[in-house]
This record gives sequence, structure tokens and C-alpha cells, in this order.
Amino acid sequence: MRTNVMLQLILKDWRLQRRMIVLTIVAGVAALAMLLMGGQTPVVVGTVFYFVSMVFCACLLPMQNIVNERKKQTLSFVMSLPVASAQYGAAKLLSTVGLFLIPWLSLLCAALYMILVRHSLPNGAIPVGLVIMNFPLIGFCLITGTALVAESEGWGTAAMAVVNSSYWLVWYLLVSHIPSLHETWSGPIAVWTPAVFKVLTVEFAIIVLTLGVTLYLQSRKRDFI
Amino acid sequence: MTDYAIELKGVCKSYPFFDLHHIDLRLQRGTIMGLIGPNGAGKSTTIRILMGLVHQDSGEVSVLGHRMPYDQVAAKWDIGFASEDMRLYDSMTLGWHIRFMKSIYASWDDAYAQLLLKRFGLNAEQKVKGLSHGQRVKAALLLVFARRPKLLVLDEPTTGLDPVARHEILRELTAVMVEDGRSILFSSHNTQDVEQISDQITFIDRGRIIDSMDKEIYLDRWRRLRLEVPDGVALPELPGVIGVQKAGRLAVAIANAFDPHLPSAYESSGARVRAVENMTLEEIFVANVEHSREEVKA
Repeated sequence: MRTNVMLQLILKDWRLQRRMIVLTIVAGVAALAMLLMGGQTPVVVGTVFYFVSMVFCACLLPMQNIVNERKKQTLSFVMSLPVASAQYGAAKLLSTVGLFLIPWLSLLCAALYMILVRHSLPNGAIPVGLVIMNFPLIGFCLITGTALVAESEGWGTAAMAVVNSSYWLVWYLLVSHIPSLHETWSGPIAVWTPAVFKVLTVEFAIIVLTLGVTLYLQSRKRDFI
Repeated sequence: MTDYAIELKGVCKSYPFFDLHHIDLRLQRGTIMGLIGPNGAGKSTTIRILMGLVHQDSGEVSVLGHRMPYDQVAAKWDIGFASEDMRLYDSMTLGWHIRFMKSIYASWDDAYAQLLLKRFGLNAEQKVKGLSHGQRVKAALLLVFARRPKLLVLDEPTTGLDPVARHEILRELTAVMVEDGRSILFSSHNTQDVEQISDQITFIDRGRIIDSMDKEIYLDRWRRLRLEVPDGVALPELPGVIGVQKAGRLAVAIANAFDPHLPSAYESSGARVRAVENMTLEEIFVANVEHSREEVKA
């Protein structure tokens, strides 16, 4: 019986990158723990560090898991296995996205716990928090797609620089064009306005589109190494 | 089932600064072929095409009866591939790599892997980043050999190795061939290694196959004739002689299709044959490449 090589490639990536995932979760939880101290400064510092831990993982994971495989010449070893380039691309995308979703979902749940159970922030922060939490996920998808398709450290770094400098710009554009997005964040209840749903839908569409285009372009490659 | 482990017919591939021209190559099952060429000759491109890693622009490629690159997954189950630029995961141990390969290949031979660990002097618990270059190459080859593949494709595996490590690897390659039906394609610019283990030799230069045949026939057909040419004697152009270099009264003729009557033909023209010498594979390789480049220029 023949083994599912794609599954083994995904498991291999998980074994290689698990330390980074654990570190991201630890850093994010430590940042959230600062919220328990109360007061404006710990809340601001904790929120910033929480976001930074996600952004850090969103940048480092694609570079480690995708770009380094080519840079450190382990790609020849992987491609000597019974796998086609399209399967390699799919396995790489699945493993990288799966790996990122672990800290992303864990820290999202931890943040909801802090808001709903520990009341560290008002419930009104949940909708806008979800919109902001999608930023590093989108950024991660864009960096991952670029790294996988462009096969170069230069393009990966360029994508990282563009994505990282866009977070605040995107947030500024969102709040200036959709004021209702942050008007209710300090309220005691979560208000799910149509604007919030619209932004979440667009964010979801960008994620799906980025991953879909990445898979499509990867499957059309003729020269792999 | 085809008799060939590898068959390339009219394969072309164009890059901005390099072209592979109509490559025709056949490796019979159960034989070792040495693919020799200078740096940038097209050895690695040819190997990447037959591994399905690069798609040819035109021509047909068949490996173990599978059409490449379309059936590359099916073909790769039975191909063991290692290249000079292949690296293992630095942060992991050799044992981790062995377990990884074992999780993929049902054909993995644990006893043979243990034997190779001993023969190559490797420690499975050592991290790859702590291995020397020679040990890394041996580790990569261990991972290939212990799968017991039907076809081994090795792209310059002995480059940068010390003589002892090279000898160990070549001995193991010869041992692999003891098993019936295994075939090896082995690229190198080290003609000594190729001469030692190959049954067939293929020369490649500037993207063209310039010659491909049985090693013994090769060595038998090429000869160097040292001649003394008295003043006033003109050397005739004889069939099978690809070049004559003259320095004063002395001349050296290189024959790529040596005929036992060749010395007497020179003698009857007035020249004196001082020696008829066998050529090493390296000398044949250099002469062949130079001759081919002159032909292309002409």
C-alpha cells in the first residue's frame, strides 16, 4: 500500500515548525495576561504586543516554511519524493495555513475569553476586534502566496514589508470611511452592524482569493527547481 | 515492459542563455551510465527533465516506462535521486530523516540502513548541521540506497568529497548493482569516478550529446599515435583520425575510431610511428569536447 505523501509532507512541516507556533501562543497569551493588570497602559501595551505576536508569526512562518526550503536547498530532497509540483504546492499551502491557524484561533479564543469571561475589555470590542484579527491572517496569506509562487526570498521580504506597513493604513482607511466600525467598541454589548458584516465578508473573500490564486499559479508551473 | 530504464527522444529545452538540443539518451535496465560533461554542459538540466522537475519544451521522456513529467509521481516511487546541491534539514537528526523516509516508503530496508550507517561511519542521533560535507553526502545517499529503488539518478554525488569518501560511495554504488535489474545514471565531471563504475558513457557539452556508447568500446576505439615526421613529408588525412597536432618533427594524432591498419598507413606516407597509446577517459573526454566544439564552429 502506498503512503499518502502529501500528508507526510504536512506532518513533516508541523514537526519542523512547532516551536515557532508554541512561542507565538506563549507570547500572545503573555500579552493578553497584561490586560488583567487593569489600567490604560497595560491594556494598550498588552493589545499591541498581542497583535505584534500574530504579525511576527504571519511573517516568520512563510519565510521559515517556504522560502527556507528553497534557500537551504532542502527542496531537492523533498522533490525527490513521489510528489508532483502541484501536490507539493498544495501540501505546503495546507501545512503553512494550518500551522498559522493554530496560534490565530488559539489567541482569538483567548481574547474572547478575556472579553466575555474576565471582562478585560467591553463586549462592544468583539466585532471590531474580529475585523482587526483578520488583518494578520490576510497579511499571512499574501506573504505565503508570494513566497510560494515567486520562489524568492526577495519577493517574500518585499511582500512582508508591504503587508506590515499596510496594517495601520488599512485600519485608518476603514475607520475614516466606515465610522460605525469603531463607534460602538466601548459599549457593553457587541453590535453587529451591516458595515461589520460587509468588512468581514470582504476580508474572507480576500483570503479565499489569495489562496485560490496561489494554488492555481502553483499548478501551472513548468519548471520547479 | 520497455528494455530501457531511461529513454529521452529529441528532448529540447530553451532558457534565455542556454539551450538543450535534441537530447537522445537511452539507459538499458541493469546498467550504469556515466554522464560526463564540463560545468554548464546541461547534465543537471537533463537530469531535472527526466525527474519531471523541469518540463521539456519538446521531445519525449520515459523513465521506467512512465511518461515524464506527467507520470512523475508513479515513476518517483522507484527512483532514488540525489544531487550535489541537495541538503537535508539542518536542525534535525539523521535518525529523524530515516524515520521520515520510512513513513513514506514501504520498501525501506531498515537492516540495510543500519549497515550503511556503520559502513559510512554515521551516527543517527547527530544533527545534520553537525555533519561534515562528506558525511552529509553519505547521509543523503543512505536515504536513497535504503529505499532499494529500481533506478538511481545521481547528479554529481562525489563532488567535493575526499578520495576515501569517494571510494566508499563508489564501492556502495557497485554493491547496489549486484541486485538484479537496478540501473544507475551517474553524472559527474570527474572522469575517474565514471570510468571506475560505468558500463556506458555519455558525453554532453553545451547542451548537446556528443557521444554515447559502451565504456569498453570507447576506451578501445580511442588511441593516441606519436609520430615522427621527416621534413618534406605531409601527413595524409586518414579516416578515424579527428586531429593532428604538430610541433617541429613530432606530431600527435588522435583517433576516435582506431583501426589496426592506421600505423602502417602513416608509415607508408613516410612518417615514423614511435608509439600507439591508449587514452584515459579524461583525455578522451577533453579531445571529444574540443573536436565537437570545432565541428559546431565549422
